[in-house]
Amino acid sequence: MLKVEDLYKSYGNVNALNGVTFSLGKGETKVIVGPSGAGKSTLLKCINLLIKPDRGRIFLEGEEITNPSTNENKVRQKIGFVFQEFNLFNHLTVLGNVMIGLTKVKRIPKEEALEKAREVLNMVHIREDLWNRYPSQISGGEKQRVAIARALAMEPVLMLYDEPTSALDPQLADEVLQVIKELSSMGMTSLIVTHEMNFALEVADEILFMSDGRIVHTGSPTELLSSPKHDLAVRFLRLGGINGFLD
Amino acid sequence: MDFWTEFLGSLLSGLLTTLQMILIAAPAGILMGLLLGTMRVYGGRVLSSLALSITAVFRGFPLLVTLFILFFGLSEIKIYLPPFWAAVIGFVLCSGAYISEYVRGSILSIEEGQSLAARSIGMTKLQEILYIILPQAIRRALPSISNEIAYMIQYSSLAFAVGVQEIFSISKTFNSIYFKSIEIFSVLAVIYIILGEISTYIFRFVEKRIRIPS
Repeated sequence: MLKVEDLYKSYGNVNALNGVTFSLGKGETKVIVGPSGAGKSTLLKCINLLIKPDRGRIFLEGEEITNPSTNENKVRQKIGFVFQEFNLFNHLTVLGNVMIGLTKVKRIPKEEALEKAREVLNMVHIREDLWNRYPSQISGGEKQRVAIARALAMEPVLMLYDEPTSALDPQLADEVLQVIKELSSMGMTSLIVTHEMNFALEVADEILFMSDGRIVHTGSPTELLSSPKHDLAVRFLRLGGINGFLD
Repeated sequence: MDFWTEFLGSLLSGLLTTLQMILIAAPAGILMGLLLGTMRVYGGRVLSSLALSITAVFRGFPLLVTLFILFFGLSEIKIYLPPFWAAVIGFVLCSGAYISEYVRGSILSIEEGQSLAARSIGMTKLQEILYIILPQAIRRALPSISNEIAYMIQYSSLAFAVGVQEIFSISKTFNSIYFKSIEIFSVLAVIYIILGEISTYIFRFVEKRIRIPS
C-alpha cells in the first residue's frame, strides 16, 4: 500500500529526515514513536505531499507519488490527514467541514454529500445535535473526531494521524483513540504518530521508533513487551508506565 | 420660490447623484480591494508586485489629484470621462487601494493550519483561497471595510472639484448666492451623518449575519 524509500528532508542545517525507509501493507496499522524533533511529523507531511522531500521516493498503491508529474491534489484526496491542532475550518459547521471536500473537491451533489457526511459522523460517534454547531462550540475531542470524519469522507486508502491526542486531556484523548482503534480494526490502513504507548501497543501491528530523522528500531508490540532491544524503546515503554516487560 | 423650497429641492437631486456614486463605488471598491489584497498574498512575484504598485500609487496620491488626472489629465490624451464617472473611478481606485491592505492583513492573520487542512483534503490553491481563506478573511476585514466606506461617503464631496452636481457642490453654490452658511452646511452635515449611520447599520447587520459563533 505505502512504501517509503530512503527519504531525506532538511531545513537549513537541520536534517529532519535522514534516510527513512519502511513500508505499510493494506489494512495494517503502524505507530511511529520518538522524541520531539525526531522527524515524525515531517515524515507524515512528506507522505501527504504537504512537504516536498529533498530526496527519496514514496509509493502509494504502487504509484510513485514523489514523481514531479504527480497530481498532488489527487494524491491528497486518497490520504486522510489528521492534525494535532484539529484544523477544522472555523467558518463552517460540523456538517460543512465534512461536506466541503465532497462538494468542492469531488464535486459530489449536495444530497449525496450529506448522506456521506451523516455516515462518517456516525462512524466517529458525533451526536446529531452537534452537526450544525461551529468548531468553537464543541469540545476538543469532538473537534478531533470531526477532523477524522472530514478525512474519512474523502474515502481515503490511507489515514495519517499526527499526534491526534496531544492537545487533549486524557478523557477526551480516550474518545479519539477509541475511534482510531475502531477504524483500524475495520481494516483502515493507518500510520499514527503518538506518544500514547499503551495505545500504540494495543493498536499497532508494528511500532517504529524514530530518532534524529531515522527509524532506529522496529518491533511488534509482542516483541517489544517481551524483550525490548533498543534504549529508545525501553525509555518510551517506561515513560508510558509499562514496566511489565522487566519482570 | 423661497430659499428652503429651492435649496431642499436641489439638494434632493444632488443626494440622488451622491447615492448613485456611492452605490457604484462602494461595491466596486470592495471587489477591487479583495482582488488586490488576494493578489498581494497569493499572486506570486508578478501579480503581487503589480498589486503592490497599484496600491502604492492610489494610497499615495491625494484623492483630489487622482480625480484631476482622471478628468483633466486624461482629456489631454483625448480620453474624455464624464465628471460622474471620473469621480466614481477615482473613489474605486482610492478605496480599493486602502481595502486591499485590510484584506491582506486579514488573510495573513488566518492560521496556517487552515491552509494545510484545505490542501490535505485535495483542494487546489484557488479552492483553498475561495472556500477557506477568503470567507474567514472577509469576516475579519469587515469592520475596517465598513470604516473605509463611511470615509468614502465623506470624501464623495470631492466630486464637486470635477463638476459633479452632488450635495456638497449644490450646497456650495447656494451658499455663494444666499450666504446662509450655517443653515446650508448644517443641513449638509446632517445628511452626511445620516448616510454614514445608514452605511454603518448595513455593515453591522452583515457582520452579525455572517458572524462565526464563539
